Amino acid sequence: MSWYPFWLSIQVAAVATLGILVVGLALALFLARTHLPGKIIVETLMNLPLVLPPTVVGYFLLIVLGRDGPLVRMFNVNVLFTWQAAVIASMVVALPLMVQSAKAAIESVDPALENAARTLGSTEPEIIWRVTLPLARRGILAGLVLGSARALGEFGATLMVAGNIPGRTQTAPLAIYDAVQAGRFADANTLVLLLTALSFLSLFAVSRMQPRAQRQRSDA
Amino acid sequence: MLDAQIERHLGDFDLRVSFHIDSQVLVLFGSSGAGKTLTLHCLAGLITPDRGCIRLGDRVLFDHAARVNVPARARRIGYVFQHYALFPHLTVRENIAFGIRHMPDARQRVDQLLELVGLTALETRHPAQLSGGQQQRVALARALAPRPELLLLDEPFSALDAPTRTELRREVLALQRALGIPMIFVTHDLGEAYFLADRLAVIDAGRILQIDAPGEILRQPCCLRVAQAVGVKNILPGTVVASDSAGCRVRVGDVTLDAPRYDFAPGARVFVCLRPERVMLIRPERVGQSSSENALHGEIVREMNEGMNVTLYFRADGARLMAEQDYDIQIELPMYIFDRLNLARERRWTVSLRKNAMHLFS
Repeated sequence: MSWYPFWLSIQVAAVATLGILVVGLALALFLARTHLPGKIIVETLMNLPLVLPPTVVGYFLLIVLGRDGPLVRMFNVNVLFTWQAAVIASMVVALPLMVQSAKAAIESVDPALENAARTLGSTEPEIIWRVTLPLARRGILAGLVLGSARALGEFGATLMVAGNIPGRTQTAPLAIYDAVQAGRFADANTLVLLLTALSFLSLFAVSRMQPRAQRQRSDA
Repeated sequence: MLDAQIERHLGDFDLRVSFHIDSQVLVLFGSSGAGKTLTLHCLAGLITPDRGCIRLGDRVLFDHAARVNVPARARRIGYVFQHYALFPHLTVRENIAFGIRHMPDARQRVDQLLELVGLTALETRHPAQLSGGQQQRVALARALAPRPELLLLDEPFSALDAPTRTELRREVLALQRALGIPMIFVTHDLGEAYFLADRLAVIDAGRILQIDAPGEILRQPCCLRVAQAVGVKNILPGTVVASDSAGCRVRVGDVTLDAPRYDFAPGARVFVCLRPERVMLIRPERVGQSSSENALHGEIVREMNEGMNVTLYFRADGARLMAEQDYDIQIELPMYIFDRLNLARERRWTVSLRKNAMHLFS
């Protein structure tokens, strides 16, 4: 069997994880630390991929990334049916997991600690960098691991925007589908075992991180 | 050194305070919810007042009219928080260095502060590995590190056990005297307030009711709420019946008391207050031998033993001061006096409400 789908999945998940680290942290900080009235709308929109059918998410992405979408019109960049489109699809579905975990961790940082930093001469960005993020790191890391596991397993939306082109955009979940359809169960078993093991390790790591994040909250 | 007029509404709470201090300790004393912490937050720049003006030394930190609002980080005001608020991810040394890491002499400064608070041996520990008293010492050193021009302490010792609290109070006062830095200390503990304060401000429901030397406030509370706050147990409502240069005579219940001179006209409704530890007990057979101003005969109807001290509830025979309760006067004395006078057995006494121990307010 070809190992290409597995390595492509790893690559897509890795880039998507980097993406949700940047976008997710910014969103989590915004949601946890501002009191704008429109906040709840942003949060709900961001959480939609958790409950929408993957095909619906994929359809929306097709519109946004497609020929008449803003990406093509404004930047003349067409990513449809490339591995970059798979990255975008993975990011969209993984983002809410990252943001929810990071936001909860940021909110649980004692505001007195941030006030203490203020009276000690820190600017607001310094406070985020030296107090808030270090204290929320376990929740952020947990969100990141969950998000990357979700990105690794992304199927529906990826199929819609990146297609299922063997050797180009066929990720491991898509390859498993193809293998089962074609009756190549040995290939399917290998990939299924690998993905299951990776997901198990991720969830195991997250559950090891959560209780400590809570302990840290109370010892301030 | 510090001049502050602060007004701030928060929900249905309304803070309106103004005060001035030099290089000394001002204690804000009051129950929880009185506005003490809010006052400190306004001074430190953590909350913006609605109106007012805050001046520290020759700098204007806040002026509503002139639209000046210096951010907290530039105010040079140290803050010691109630629950320490040490950074749990940093060591003792890193915590103290937090506010001065850009300074060229930061290292020596931290060494010096570690020594000052006696924590040199613990510099590599994290806050979770320290006792409460040690944590608060770190918080103190951290707040002092950037050489603030004013230090605010928000009930810093309320979570500590009594011996540690006493020790830290002494250290803080010694530190203040050595550094000459003005300090505002918030507490709801009267003993602590009295011990630390050069000036004491009694604050209630967002207002400073009285601000004065602590001895003055204990002797001469300005109003009912201050008297209650500073532990005056005998607050007797009465009416002035006569007033001249020798003193006032005040009708309380069925009794007319001789009180010191105050500017009240006859007919004025006043409160007579008398601290429970200043009531004199006289054995019935010795009445007449010693001074017995405002003597009342009666008996001790019950007592409340608080370990080191005991509070006696005394009811007068016949003419009563407070007919609606089962006692007239509360008397507080040390337990060893209680034992020596055999008060558990001997219940009939005469009390003297000494004229110069009394204080009147309207």
